[in-house]
Amino acid sequence: MREHDLIVATLQEDVALTIDELCATCAVTREWVVTRVQEGLLATEDGAPEQWRFGSGHLRRAREMRRIERTFDAAPELAALVADLLEEIAQLRARLR
Amino acid sequence: MQFKDYYEMLGVPRDASADAIKKAFRQLARKYHPDVSKAPDAEARMKEINEANAVLSDPERRAAYDQLLARGARGGQEFEPPPGWDAGFEFSGRGSDADAADFSDFFAELFGRMGGAAGARGAGFGAQSGGFRARGEDHHAKILLAIEDAFLGARRQVSLRAPELDPQGRVLLKTRTLDVQIPKGVREGQLIRLAGQGSPGMGNAPAGDLFLEVHFEPHPRYAVHGRDLRMELPVAPWEAALGAVVPVQLPHGGTLKVRLPAGAQGGRTLRVRGEGIPGDPPGDLELTVRVVLPKADTPRAKELYETMARELPFDPRA
Repeated sequence: MREHDLIVATLQEDVALTIDELCATCAVTREWVVTRVQEGLLATEDGAPEQWRFGSGHLRRAREMRRIERTFDAAPELAALVADLLEEIAQLRARLR
Repeated sequence: MQFKDYYEMLGVPRDASADAIKKAFRQLARKYHPDVSKAPDAEARMKEINEANAVLSDPERRAAYDQLLARGARGGQEFEPPPGWDAGFEFSGRGSDADAADFSDFFAELFGRMGGAAGARGAGFGAQSGGFRARGEDHHAKILLAIEDAFLGARRQVSLRAPELDPQGRVLLKTRTLDVQIPKGVREGQLIRLAGQGSPGMGNAPAGDLFLEVHFEPHPRYAVHGRDLRMELPVAPWEAALGAVVPVQLPHGGTLKVRLPAGAQGGRTLRVRGEGIPGDPPGDLELTVRVVLPKADTPRAKELYETMARELPFDPRA
């Protein structure tokens, strides 16, 4: 029934996911997110985990970190470093265009 | 449906140890990382490698898959799973296949029931009225837009394959095509979340979400940076020297008149507020001045250059 419905996307300034939504879409546990925020590997505002909100940058970064950690059995710090480098490459490539 | 040879995809022999499989997977994952690899099919290869690894690194799935090989199934052949092929195997469904939505029909047909497709994922898992409930899988897809679309909006079709259970409890992959209207104002890298448009949930659990990541096709004239639109502004030497009002063609078809200040040198950037990608606030238009010299290919043009050379005390290297 829903095969060809037209879905009108609305643009918010950015998606703002709660910690549980971020966990669901990245297939990680809550603890995974909490530790990485506490260690400064995934930036978010202060406050209790329930108040955290994650945008598109966070989501992309969390998925990348999870992938690197799982693929290479990498330490979280190393996965975060790779994510930093990938973000930097993306910015430099965008500047070349 | 074609039978997939997962051993061949990872380049390992049938009797490879778990360590050898892990090593091969890591080497290939490094080689085909979509952001690093120069191979044109890196993204597709990466999906295959992930899928092969999801089967071969899981002892239960690997044992069941080996059983099919032992029955004579070969890569590239037409293949239907024999009825009850997985009898005697127990799948604990502890899969952490966050990328399972990208896996092939072949994978979903064989393993769809065991945690890959409809997810025994921690979140959304709960027993309500005794039944099995699981929130549907989220889907992540990239959409490629033209820069013009950021100004005008765009309509795109997105195809999703989502597993559904038939009355016999078999997993069927159903392709859904969504028509998505993208409003104007999208930016590079922006995520658009379409709630409830991912895979359907099981039991009465809600469907997953669909996340679309926006990317722009390279454009010969325009580039975007956040909400700002960047382009070169080619000008004649006298326009740059004397100042001028020059027309600028915008991506949505309009023309903007821009005042070029007298004495503008090549490389100088002009910023026109509010003429970038629409939004609240809209981005800016950034113009980089490029002075283009007329050719000295007629006697008259040569004469004009010679006059300048003679009469202007100018040394560009001073």
